[in-house]
Amino acid sequence: MTSANLVILGNGGAAIHAMIAARSFGYSGPIHLVSDANGPAFNPMLSPYYLKGKIPWHRCFPFGEDIYRKCDAICHWNSRVESLDAANKTVSLAGGGTLHYDRCLVATGARPVVPPIAGLKDVPGVFTLRTAAQTRILEKAIGSAKKVVVLGASLIGVKVAEILRQRNVGVVLIDVAEQILPHSAHPRAAAVLEEYFREKGIDVRLGCSIEGFETDRDGVRCFFPNNMVERTDWIAVCTGIRPNLDFIDPVQVSLDKAILVNNRMETSAEDLYAAGDVSQGANFLTGKSEWLGLWANGCYQGRTAGMNMAGGKASYPGTISQHVSPLFEQTFIQIGDLNRRGPNIRLISGRDPERGILHFLIFEDDVLIGVNLFNNDSLAGRLRSAVMKRMEWGRYMPDVEQTPFHQVEKALNALDHVGKMV
Amino acid sequence: MEEAQGGNRVLKGKFGFSFDATRCSGCMACVVACMDQNDLPEHGPSFRRVTCFERGEYPEVRLHFLSMACQHCLDAPCVMVCPTTALSKSAGNGIVQFDRDLCVGCHSCALACDFGVPQFQDDGKMNKCDFCQSRVEHGLEPACVRVCTTRALGFGTLEELDRRKAERASLKFLTPFSKGG
Repeated sequence: MTSANLVILGNGGAAIHAMIAARSFGYSGPIHLVSDANGPAFNPMLSPYYLKGKIPWHRCFPFGEDIYRKCDAICHWNSRVESLDAANKTVSLAGGGTLHYDRCLVATGARPVVPPIAGLKDVPGVFTLRTAAQTRILEKAIGSAKKVVVLGASLIGVKVAEILRQRNVGVVLIDVAEQILPHSAHPRAAAVLEEYFREKGIDVRLGCSIEGFETDRDGVRCFFPNNMVERTDWIAVCTGIRPNLDFIDPVQVSLDKAILVNNRMETSAEDLYAAGDVSQGANFLTGKSEWLGLWANGCYQGRTAGMNMAGGKASYPGTISQHVSPLFEQTFIQIGDLNRRGPNIRLISGRDPERGILHFLIFEDDVLIGVNLFNNDSLAGRLRSAVMKRMEWGRYMPDVEQTPFHQVEKALNALDHVGKMV
Repeated sequence: MEEAQGGNRVLKGKFGFSFDATRCSGCMACVVACMDQNDLPEHGPSFRRVTCFERGEYPEVRLHFLSMACQHCLDAPCVMVCPTTALSKSAGNGIVQFDRDLCVGCHSCALACDFGVPQFQDDGKMNKCDFCQSRVEHGLEPACVRVCTTRALGFGTLEELDRRKAERASLKFLTPFSKGG
């Protein structure tokens, strides 16, 4: 397939993997890549490592500049997509340019959400963390800060709190939910993290809302219920992300929280694909459409879309919610569903003080559906695999809630693919 | 399997380990050899691990051992999830290579690996088996294979390993006949 015109909107993991996959498949026609940045793909996963001083700035761009030349891409830098006409297969760029496509991939990612709290939008010292530019701005702000309020004890919120604390900035971590990581942690695992964060000197305030803000020349004053006031240098907003799909016409393309795609990454519009954080694909377990903003998921989706745009027949069955995050000296892992409740839901937990391991396993009958794990790398992937396979634990199901980790290991050794190798 | 180039050998083909569970005695020599070859700390993570599996019910209980290192998967999920491209798949020999300098210690590879292979050292960075590439390039076997006294572990291209397996199976099948004759 050489004659088609491929257009990729976006410049993140999904876009780059789509470009690589199309070329690897043998597609030799033109590939247009449209990016609102003016350089190589930035990986938002790496910005915390940069802000902690673990990696230099250039390493936040893992694919480098050469990838576009290697893939012979026609790059449209500093170009924002104004509209996409799926019926006429055209993309209009801000400033007047128009691109015609035969097949187009929307991989424009997501942006941070600023919640509608009265006065928040007018506060000059409100920072988010997602793009390269936002990372640079946040870095500059950290330099002079003494105290910062972090809004949202989300995965990015706890990361930002950790970065600030490691740089000796006072941190107030606030969430309206009653627990830290409300979507990623079982309440008991969240309580462990909350205590750990307090030990590290972070002021954690849960079930807490902010009523308003006032800016003066010394910073921002945050007003809490009961006439409580907190003075802060600035505010880090970490309350979630929203897909960048303002240029999509919902009459032409089916949308839910993001652009709906099938397992070939095809949207409802002909020859229009979507991948990464702007798309909403299948949850591997339920088969239902679910928006999961995960770097690896985006890369797999991009690769699938790229192959299909090049004329291949690739499919991606989807994934499950999963996350791993080193937080200070702990490694926190989340797999699957931690929030399901019901009479047939059981929690199995335990602590291995010698190895520092702490586990919280959620079972639906004898099927593992969710995991929170601290400080164990060897079993993380195997437990994820057990969740994705909906493995029945049968007689290996732990009898009591407090089960030591070595017994979980033993059960897994008897049940999973590794155990079945002998 | 390889072509000479400036004294070293350029590895060609898709390589793999073979493991015969009926031969493994769980002596751990492979683990020690791997630690020695890769200068791994005594109590630190090991690239190769031997797991003991109990099978059966009392009094008919048997122990089995599984010696396992990186599987160098054909479509390695660790490579795909690595946010820094520290992990990559060699197009020439299929080795899942690892650049320690690029690793940030995010542990994404650990969550992606179905076999629990990625291990993290004291500096927070991952490390793993590379088939003892430097030994193999000089015509030697990986350290773990070299010391395996029961020859439970093998190494070679996937074609070679398949051929050896077929030979062993033929031998097992034909031996009773040859003795009988």
